[in-house]
Amino acid sequence: MHSRSGIPVAPGVAIGPAMLFGAESFRIPQRFVSVDAVEAELGRFDSALNLVSNSLEENERVARERLGDQYGAIFGAHRMMLQDPKLRGEIESLIRSKCFSPEFAASRVLRNYARAFRNLGNPYLAERAADVIDLEKRLLRALLGEKHPELSHLTEPVIILAHNLTPSETANLDRKNVLGFATEAGGHTSHTAILAGALELPAVVGIGHFLTEVSAGDIVIIDGNRGSVIVDPDDETLERYRAEAVVAESQTERLAALQTVEATTIDGTRVHVMGNIEFPQEVAQCQKRGADGVGLYRTEFLYLGADQAPTEEEHYNAYCEVIEALNGQPVTIRTLDLGADKIPGNHAEFHTQADNPALGLRSIRLSLRDIDQFKVQLRAILRAAVKGPVRIMFPLITSLLELRKARMILGDVIEDLEESGVEFSRVVEVGMMVEVPAAALLADLFAKEVDFFSIGTNDLIQYALAVDRSDQAVASLYRAGDPSILRLIRMVIDAAREQGILVTVCGQMSSDPKYIPLLLGMGLRSLSVTPMAVPEVKDVIGHLSLADAEAIAEHAMSLDVARDVENYLRGEVSRLLADPDDEE
Amino acid sequence: MSDAVTQTVTVPGENGLHLVPCSLIAQSASSFECEVRIRKGAQTVDAKNIFDLMSLNAGHGAELVLEAVGTAARDAVDALVALFDSGFNGHASRKAAQESH
Repeated sequence: MHSRSGIPVAPGVAIGPAMLFGAESFRIPQRFVSVDAVEAELGRFDSALNLVSNSLEENERVARERLGDQYGAIFGAHRMMLQDPKLRGEIESLIRSKCFSPEFAASRVLRNYARAFRNLGNPYLAERAADVIDLEKRLLRALLGEKHPELSHLTEPVIILAHNLTPSETANLDRKNVLGFATEAGGHTSHTAILAGALELPAVVGIGHFLTEVSAGDIVIIDGNRGSVIVDPDDETLERYRAEAVVAESQTERLAALQTVEATTIDGTRVHVMGNIEFPQEVAQCQKRGADGVGLYRTEFLYLGADQAPTEEEHYNAYCEVIEALNGQPVTIRTLDLGADKIPGNHAEFHTQADNPALGLRSIRLSLRDIDQFKVQLRAILRAAVKGPVRIMFPLITSLLELRKARMILGDVIEDLEESGVEFSRVVEVGMMVEVPAAALLADLFAKEVDFFSIGTNDLIQYALAVDRSDQAVASLYRAGDPSILRLIRMVIDAAREQGILVTVCGQMSSDPKYIPLLLGMGLRSLSVTPMAVPEVKDVIGHLSLADAEAIAEHAMSLDVARDVENYLRGEVSRLLADPDDEE
Repeated sequence: MSDAVTQTVTVPGENGLHLVPCSLIAQSASSFECEVRIRKGAQTVDAKNIFDLMSLNAGHGAELVLEAVGTAARDAVDALVALFDSGFNGHASRKAAQESH
């Protein structure tokens, strides 16, 4: 048993056999063979061993001729490892005594050696682990042929372990058979993380180098609550996790009872708790938990995983599905929030070799360049809005000029629709994300030109604190509780109140219970959170009076470092939830 | 064990007993019938096994005791000493290993 830790991005625990996914990994289709098959499997293993051994000999010869003896010697050494009687003996014994398939046995034994080399504390030998892994790859290739795993067509439940999953790979995960996943790369706010939350799959990302320490088929626990991945757990650990699952179940049931309860403070103030979604199917997950609609519908999924930019009908159909499922509850549709590199179709003219994509041509900036695509999306939204209440939201607005341009294009689309006689709705509220500090600082001016604000805390924090949360080296500097962030948020809420427009918070901050009293105390009455967090957020609101919330916000605003703010808020929320008197 | 042949050697080369030296030692030792072991401090490994050799983690300058027991034990130790003396440098050491066969 060994465990690694990373960044938890979707809560829950998953237990199952590992499937390694990526260029360096083979999927081992079968971990065990029947007792009768052992001899035949050993024969198959020896043929593979010979095959690899011969190819190494050939490599050695070619390398000696072309590059010199010292290079040939490397392949010679590989061959020595492969032909080592001890290695073969260990693999054979696993096949015989445990009925492991040759693939599983070979991968297990070689990866154990690789791990041992890495743990010797000698950097040079640690690098040799790569040689051992290379041998494993050669052996598996000889045993399996060039088959690569298909994430969307799995036949049994697995845990996906990968260096990285692209958003489209994540989106295309077969939800029936993927129990959870863990990746070496990635951060809290990556799209992969957001998608994991959307799929409600326990997930841990940003683990760092670990794939070579796992064999396909090893039993793995993904702990999406604590952010750990446990490989080959012992019985005691397995037992503990299974017991936790039972407790979690009863907690879920308790919170499920809140489904029909409206989010109201002790003193009767109604708070709207909405859900953030990525896929139309997630509306059901919001409703199951009693959300007041969808406060953020991310439309990027329509663009990802496709070869071409979506057509107007594809947009329209997805929006209609969401609106109809919501049955009269409102939805806020955010227009495209991606960089040019993620968008299919001919965007060559927009591709730049930017060093800093977060500050580059993305989101509304891209929409304002590629006006044709932008219009396609806006037409579809306005047409779908006939079926129910819809708000349009522009992301990443930085200057008033940008907002005005976007509104002007929307005006053009309305004119076009009028001329063409297509049915559409003009009663659509138009708002913007406040996620760039510049927009927060000018919130009083923006408030006069939009119907609502939605504060996107993920980007707001990244831009205000100049921290990329997915960069391990600085991730600890990313603090939602930083006093500067609190001030920015309060500026936006104050500006909205002054102008009488709606304001909501839709970043991950609003899904974190400790920030709920603070946000309510600052005057927020509407939140949009990941669907899974809806019951918990309602629970906190139900334990809170407005006077409490205001006192908490006032004290939090008086603190001068993030650590103090976060500790204080954490203490307050656990006090609120623990105190039975507050329920009166 | 009375006929055990032992000799102490020092690990040459910047990288110590890395992949290629280990493979050359294992290859050479395997060509003898006798048991061949290498000892570093308290750790003793089978010199015919490349994985064991690598796990010795013997860096440049480490003192190793070569030990052979059985038929042609002296020859086996001599062959390994020759390898260490040559600094495991590619072709020469390979030849040495083959000649000793």
